[in-house]
Amino acid sequence: MASVLTRRAQPQALAPPAVRQILRRNSYAAVPLALLVVLFIVNAAVQPQFVAQQSWASSMAVLCPTVLTAMAVTLPVLSGNGGIDLSVGPLAGFMTVLIAAVLVPAGITTPELIIPIVIVFGALSGAINGVLVAYVRLPAIIATLGMYLFYEGLGTEVLPQAGGSVPVWLVKLNGSFGPIPAVWVVFAVIALVWLLVTRGSYPRNLLAVGGDERAAYTAGVHVARLRLITYSIGGVLACLAGLMLTGLIQSGDGTVGPPYTISALTAVALGGISLAGGRGGLLGGALGGGVLFLIQELLTDAHVSVYQVSVVDGIILIFALALNGTVEHLRRRAAVSRRG
Amino acid sequence: MSSADGATRLVIEGLSRSFGETRALTSATLRVRPGEIHSLAGENGSGKSTLIKILSGVLQPDSGTLTWEGDVTRLGNPSSAQGMGIATVFQETLIAPEMTVRDNIYLGTDRLFRYGRRKGEEVAGARQALSDLGLDGLDLDRPMWTLSLAERQLTTVARAIIRPWRLLILDEATSALDHHQRDRLFDYLRLSRSEGKSVLFTSHRMDEVLGLADRITVLRQGATVATMAGSEASRIGILGHMSGRAGVGDVVTAEPAPRRPGEREQGPSQRPVLRVEELTLRATSKPISMEVGAGQILGLAGLEGQGQVEFVECLSGLRRPAAGHVLALGGNGESRPVRSYRGANRLGIRYVPRDRRHEGLFGPLSVFDNFAVTLWTDLNRLGWLRRQQARKRFDDFAGSSRLVSASPRHPISTLSGGNQQKVLLGRWIAMRPRVLVVNDPLRGVDHNTKEELYGLFRRLAAGGVAIVFLSTEIVELLTLTDQIAVFHEGSLVAMLPTEMSSDTDVVAAMFGDQRAGDGEPGRDGEPGRDGQRGGDGEPGRDGQRGGGADG
Repeated sequence: MASVLTRRAQPQALAPPAVRQILRRNSYAAVPLALLVVLFIVNAAVQPQFVAQQSWASSMAVLCPTVLTAMAVTLPVLSGNGGIDLSVGPLAGFMTVLIAAVLVPAGITTPELIIPIVIVFGALSGAINGVLVAYVRLPAIIATLGMYLFYEGLGTEVLPQAGGSVPVWLVKLNGSFGPIPAVWVVFAVIALVWLLVTRGSYPRNLLAVGGDERAAYTAGVHVARLRLITYSIGGVLACLAGLMLTGLIQSGDGTVGPPYTISALTAVALGGISLAGGRGGLLGGALGGGVLFLIQELLTDAHVSVYQVSVVDGIILIFALALNGTVEHLRRRAAVSRRG
Repeated sequence: MSSADGATRLVIEGLSRSFGETRALTSATLRVRPGEIHSLAGENGSGKSTLIKILSGVLQPDSGTLTWEGDVTRLGNPSSAQGMGIATVFQETLIAPEMTVRDNIYLGTDRLFRYGRRKGEEVAGARQALSDLGLDGLDLDRPMWTLSLAERQLTTVARAIIRPWRLLILDEATSALDHHQRDRLFDYLRLSRSEGKSVLFTSHRMDEVLGLADRITVLRQGATVATMAGSEASRIGILGHMSGRAGVGDVVTAEPAPRRPGEREQGPSQRPVLRVEELTLRATSKPISMEVGAGQILGLAGLEGQGQVEFVECLSGLRRPAAGHVLALGGNGESRPVRSYRGANRLGIRYVPRDRRHEGLFGPLSVFDNFAVTLWTDLNRLGWLRRQQARKRFDDFAGSSRLVSASPRHPISTLSGGNQQKVLLGRWIAMRPRVLVVNDPLRGVDHNTKEELYGLFRRLAAGGVAIVFLSTEIVELLTLTDQIAVFHEGSLVAMLPTEMSSDTDVVAAMFGDQRAGDGEPGRDGEPGRDGQRGGDGEPGRDGQRGGGADG
């Protein structure tokens, strides 16, 4: 145990306190970050065109919904007590239907209208999950599975076949502004908003509730209210994923969403986030999404068939969960031995 | 905040609270004044914890009034209690392990998105609180899980005292602290008292209660039975109130309780079947050595969390002790160690768990299936189950235990709690155990069923089964057992022969009180008593009992 502490402590001793605190708060992200770097180098080595600038924008566009849905699942997971949101994928898929087959035909095409509608829709649908979990006290995995089926069905009901029309600005969001992939700008905006939110006490309350619900409750945290808000933010992120997805596929398609739930769960596990809650952060979900994307890039490059990719995805999910559980177990043991 | 009438800060009248059919609190009355340290005393199940949860906003009372500084109030949740100036340190050390010390101390003081105060203020406040508690050097940025148990507990105290409190509630908040740390905390409490603040605390240590409290309120079976000034209180007085035998003199010793027929003459005929050698439950506790003889009923007592549960888990192989071992003794003198639950089962040690719903019964299965589930390994021939045999054993058992069930085919959940417990016991009895370890089996069981089960246990013992019987009810232990082992802080502190012990003796030992007879002329005068029981290892202290001496 001592060795782990000193190993961690050494680089921190040199850094200024603010940096030290950031490192400490995000120590969970070390493994996914390392994975991301390694996979990036591997990708660049086997596939030189991967780093060529012109393909970046399209790569990032493909990556974007994966990362956003992963972030959407991250927050409920962090809130602990079996928190999870399975509905993120179909919700994102339903967003493509809502935009391409409902809003645009109704003449709502400008970003000033569509973006707020998407955000409000996300907050409300997340709030439904939140109420079911925090107030009705259903197990999150069941409640959000119900919502998963709901949005999946609703999407194909409204638009039985992929189609509809997509405003140009939305397609451009998946292109590039000069040399910079437009998705980066989207990420930057989301990151900025998130940093503003997390300057406050929300992360502290979230991690406390995820870490020990009773400790948080008896200390005075409004646990149910916090969970409600957490699921709402998750819903907003899922709907933003749907917005980006609409531009990517340039149509509405109710069947495109569900796979994102699986990739999001895998990304969360790869992102070093404790599925028991209380350890991790939004960055972990994003990094996990990146790692997953790079793995899939490698598979594509190796001309692995779609079905084989599915097999590999399953293996990665299980592997990531097992890895996560192992890390957790080792840490717990270390904690116990230290306590003793 | 308004109209504090000076004389009382908190008045509680007729507070009650039930959980289903269990009446945890029936009529609690309590007055806490400004500038006093008030102790809340009571045995297990006296309602202390329920009362504290109500005062801290975690639970709502069913009826009764709570008057805070002159106003009748309702504490809807913990944050509203804290807003009024009531800060609580709970018995369990509630922490968020991944978060830093500072975050844990200031937990719950923020709004959802806005911090309650600046970081600088938090750091200064946390340093101050920790230094008040003697933890000056503690790094505020350390993750909580890296702290020692005592440091964690003090951090939860710091969490309470950084709030603007006027009533601090400490529920067994010193259990992990060493002497030095405790004294430091008490100094802080006394200082706060001099500033006009109030403290309400519970402790399983009688010396803390007597040394610290200005006044003491005693709860028994959910009701307030006495409030006394700390200066006038004596150990024996408090113990008497807690156990329901008020008055110093009239402590009853050795009721000639209904014993089982053919009272065994103890002595060498009691062949030992279980031996405990130098068993250490926790790193800090004293090793335990004892023997349990065939046909003996050994009672285990202690306040919540004092090691008795760990002890039965060690006996039944569910837990590895910190040191030492448990040996099952065969008829021919051979001894075999208990290493695992399965191993214990093979050696004839059967464990009946405490939580019958979660650890014992299969709710949807029938009464018969619940009974027979352990039998199938015995009663199967090449995969064919011998249902007739099992059925016969069931009928025998149902008859002898007077099991009330419409049909053995009905789901077990249709039975009353007492009858469910009978089936659970029967399951293990049908295995013909040599040692039966039972963990508080008669909780929530009505009086008549209890009597029937006492009979069942006595018949088993008469048949040569050694029974280790953990109970939270002292009366039960006094009625049923031959000897009572009392646990305190992870160690065995007393081995009381039941015939010669009173409930006050047991309670005294439960509070770690080796000198319950303090303040009385002379100590008890039965030096030969401890020597009467052969074989079992006394924990090396004498005179655990007192009080009964002058009865």
